[in-house]
Amino acid sequence: MRLAPATGRTYSHMTMQRLSNLDRTFRALADGTRRSMIHVLARGEARSAGELGRQFRSAQPTISNHLKVLEQAGLVERTIEGRIHRFRLRQKPLKEAGSWIIRHQAFWNGAVDQLDRLLPEIAGNDRG
Amino acid sequence: MIVDETAVEVRRRFRVAPEKVFAAFSEARWVARWLSPSPDIRLSLLQFQFREGGAYRFAYHVPGGQVMTVRGAYRLIDRPSKIVFSWVIEPPDEHAGLDSEVIVTITPDGEFTELLIRHEKLTRPAAGARHAEGWRGALDQLAALLEQSGAYHAD
Repeated sequence: MRLAPATGRTYSHMTMQRLSNLDRTFRALADGTRRSMIHVLARGEARSAGELGRQFRSAQPTISNHLKVLEQAGLVERTIEGRIHRFRLRQKPLKEAGSWIIRHQAFWNGAVDQLDRLLPEIAGNDRG
Repeated sequence: MIVDETAVEVRRRFRVAPEKVFAAFSEARWVARWLSPSPDIRLSLLQFQFREGGAYRFAYHVPGGQVMTVRGAYRLIDRPSKIVFSWVIEPPDEHAGLDSEVIVTITPDGEFTELLIRHEKLTRPAAGARHAEGWRGALDQLAALLEQSGAYHAD
């Protein structure tokens, strides 16, 4: 993972809107069935609601509801062909959620590296 | 390392006395020189009251002209072994308003000093999602997914 070089860029693309997007993403991910659905969709192919329903052995209204939550969080996109609704995974919100924690990890790793270089100077300072 | 879905930890050993590591957090002249994620992100201290209840405000100057501002207060100072402070990023950052907390533990170990920085409360669990499924493990799942799909490396 190229964390350190990306740091500057990460900090320079910030909007308020992403916070609420992130909240929606985490809320959508806070459910085992929905995470499993994402897992299935992560293979890249679009799946119909019916296919997903058979895979999870859940009632269709339950599946529809999960898909609606995922759609509202922007995690899946829906295409409609006649009567068939197909769902495909969108990776951008997942990437943003993943970088949420990782960004802080990168922050402190980077800071401690800098501290490592500075400490000899602090140690050599009388008042240090 | 990423400890769980709400905290990160960094642990490092230095061959200096605990007081020297403590000074890196307690003295403005030193803080400004290391407490940023990389040397090209310059830190300026807008406010720095290193005492319990005292406030700080840090401005991070990102190459390209953007500034990220962090503020907080020192909740506990136990010289030279422990410092706890809140950490709130100001708008327009995507993390703005999130009241996270940093716990610094400085422990002597022979001629070394171990520094542990734990940054926690990094997320706000959705109401109602705390129990049952909750979202324990959600990030693990996510990390595995991203690895698998290769999304991590994409821009």
